[in-house]
Amino acid sequence: MNISSFESEFNKIMRRDYFTSHVKPIREQAFNNFLEKGLPNKNWEDWRHTDLKPIKEIDFCLSEISDAPAHELDITEFGLDDVHTIVIYNGHYQENISSVPSGVRLISLADYGDQNAWKIREPNDSPFDLLNTAFMDSGFCLTIDKGTQIDSPVRILYISSTEKNIMVSPRMYINLGESSSITFIEQYEGNCNEYFLNGSLIVELKENSRMSHFRIQNNSVDTVNIGNIHVQQDSASHYTFNQFACGSRLGRLNLLADLNGKGAECFINGLTLTNNIQHIDNHIVTSHNAPFCTSSQYFRSVLQDRSSGVFNGRTIVSEGAEKTDSKQSNKNLLLSKGALMNSNPQLEIYADDVKCSHGSTTGALDQDALFYIRSRGLDIVSAKSLLIRAFVSEMIEPIHHENIKSYIISKFDAWLNENTVQ
Amino acid sequence: MLDIQDLHAGVDNKEILKGLSLNIKPGEMHAVMGRNGSGKSTLSNVITGREGYYISKGDVRYKNESIIEWPPEQRALAGLFMSFQYPVVMPGVNNTYFLKSALNAKRKHNGEKELDAAGFLKLIKEKLTELDMDTSYLQRAVNDGFSGGEKKRNEVLQMLTLEPELSILDETDSGLDIDALKIIADGVNKYRSPERSFLVITHYQRLLKYIEPDVVHVLIDGKIVRSGGKELAIELEEKGYGWLES
Repeated sequence: MNISSFESEFNKIMRRDYFTSHVKPIREQAFNNFLEKGLPNKNWEDWRHTDLKPIKEIDFCLSEISDAPAHELDITEFGLDDVHTIVIYNGHYQENISSVPSGVRLISLADYGDQNAWKIREPNDSPFDLLNTAFMDSGFCLTIDKGTQIDSPVRILYISSTEKNIMVSPRMYINLGESSSITFIEQYEGNCNEYFLNGSLIVELKENSRMSHFRIQNNSVDTVNIGNIHVQQDSASHYTFNQFACGSRLGRLNLLADLNGKGAECFINGLTLTNNIQHIDNHIVTSHNAPFCTSSQYFRSVLQDRSSGVFNGRTIVSEGAEKTDSKQSNKNLLLSKGALMNSNPQLEIYADDVKCSHGSTTGALDQDALFYIRSRGLDIVSAKSLLIRAFVSEMIEPIHHENIKSYIISKFDAWLNENTVQ
Repeated sequence: MLDIQDLHAGVDNKEILKGLSLNIKPGEMHAVMGRNGSGKSTLSNVITGREGYYISKGDVRYKNESIIEWPPEQRALAGLFMSFQYPVVMPGVNNTYFLKSALNAKRKHNGEKELDAAGFLKLIKEKLTELDMDTSYLQRAVNDGFSGGEKKRNEVLQMLTLEPELSILDETDSGLDIDALKIIADGVNKYRSPERSFLVITHYQRLLKYIEPDVVHVLIDGKIVRSGGKELAIELEEKGYGWLES
């Protein structure tokens, strides 16, 4: 997609009456900023190892009304049937099959913007945030009021299913009031060939609130999935993020978490499974801006064939963020000689009294372990899958929510079955 | 049971075994003794099929079949077992899951019904008691955080569970205190039967006080230079290996 095709799609969206007219100057400004910056290339430090060819080479167009489902959707095939779900199909909200539990206030982005005279947080950290603002097409705000505990998880299910090359740009806000809590799932599914999803999610955790956030990237291996997540944490708030990614030809997660209040906790975890020519890039920045905060970044990848990946994790400890406790760990398992992983855990520390550690390992399956297992009578495929299973178990086992865990295990099992070879 | 004929084998381009012959009959316990570098580890690795070794001459026959082309798992399913000198640590691989999978692979191979979780638990608990091992073992990862003695006990536990016909005990006594050594020796002795054979590979005579061999072989520079009864082991302990070197 070159600049002129971005421009023609932009002109198209400006003619549509999505949201209100107030949003048009906001779009315009974001798009102009995007044009100034351009799409990232390999000369950009944060994009050195990621080739955006899958976006650059294909012309994507806005989703049309005709891309909405013709019949009522059946979402049972996407599992997790015990949760409340908000369904977005090719960028179209499916109100008739969507619901949220009581205690969660769901309003459209249009209403949320209007209520706040469109003085809402518009992230502009990366060109993809700017693109999201310029093209935002579906959007919501979830609010959980002070002191409200939501027991049933809330899922937003993005389904991509079309023959056309569509781009969709969802925008979500989640605001957790003081001492509230929620489990939130983003799930990406669908069988498209070419599809460009560029979503931005803005999360605000007020004092003492808790959010457990899952991101399941299980869309087809031909699509592009860019996730821009911005988390702001007040004191004593708790945020846990677990990503399970096995879909997308090109995946990029930009997760920026700001720990702004004393004693905030932020644990960011990711498990990535890739094969063929998939490329998944996890770009995580945790900023400790207050004392007594705890954070971790744990990422593991298993790479088959010629697939590749990036872990770019940065933890910044600002001046005054004393007693910071932070850990970073990235471990990668290469199942083939053609697989490639770029791992770059980084620490930037401007405070004195802190405890920070980081580490990274990348390697093939342990030959001694394979021989040991085979010497007990298990064949080579079983031996490999036993070791791969062990490698990922540390990421899956700690998941508390049983149904989410068993869904992830079922996806992992299917992947393992297809990708463990002699 | 095991018949090794004029075996020449090595690693990279270095010949380590230089014409080794060995014949173990059902029910026999043989010991191969030798110094570091004499070829003991190569011998056990070649019998069990570890990759990276070449065989330039000779044959390894198990129950009258040449096994040198067989992958390790085929040898294991046929009844071969090795207690490793350095058991591999496998974080994240649960002992119960691992051993149950191995046992069921073998049962399936033998045309027997696979054991369910309850059946396996009953069996493994008996074996644990036999080796004076704690049931917390069942929840732990394979050899992860195990002491040297625990690792060796785990090897013998796997042997008792998988019921091989030919067991190679590779330096099973190293790293064991005397109590652990006695427990392991008891386990092995109880497991001896007229159908089961053993090859004990060891540096010292210590283990052979508790597990009495029928035949003792002395391995020097890739060849067996002397074979005899259990008294040979005692002689070696007293005199060392020097008097056998030409």
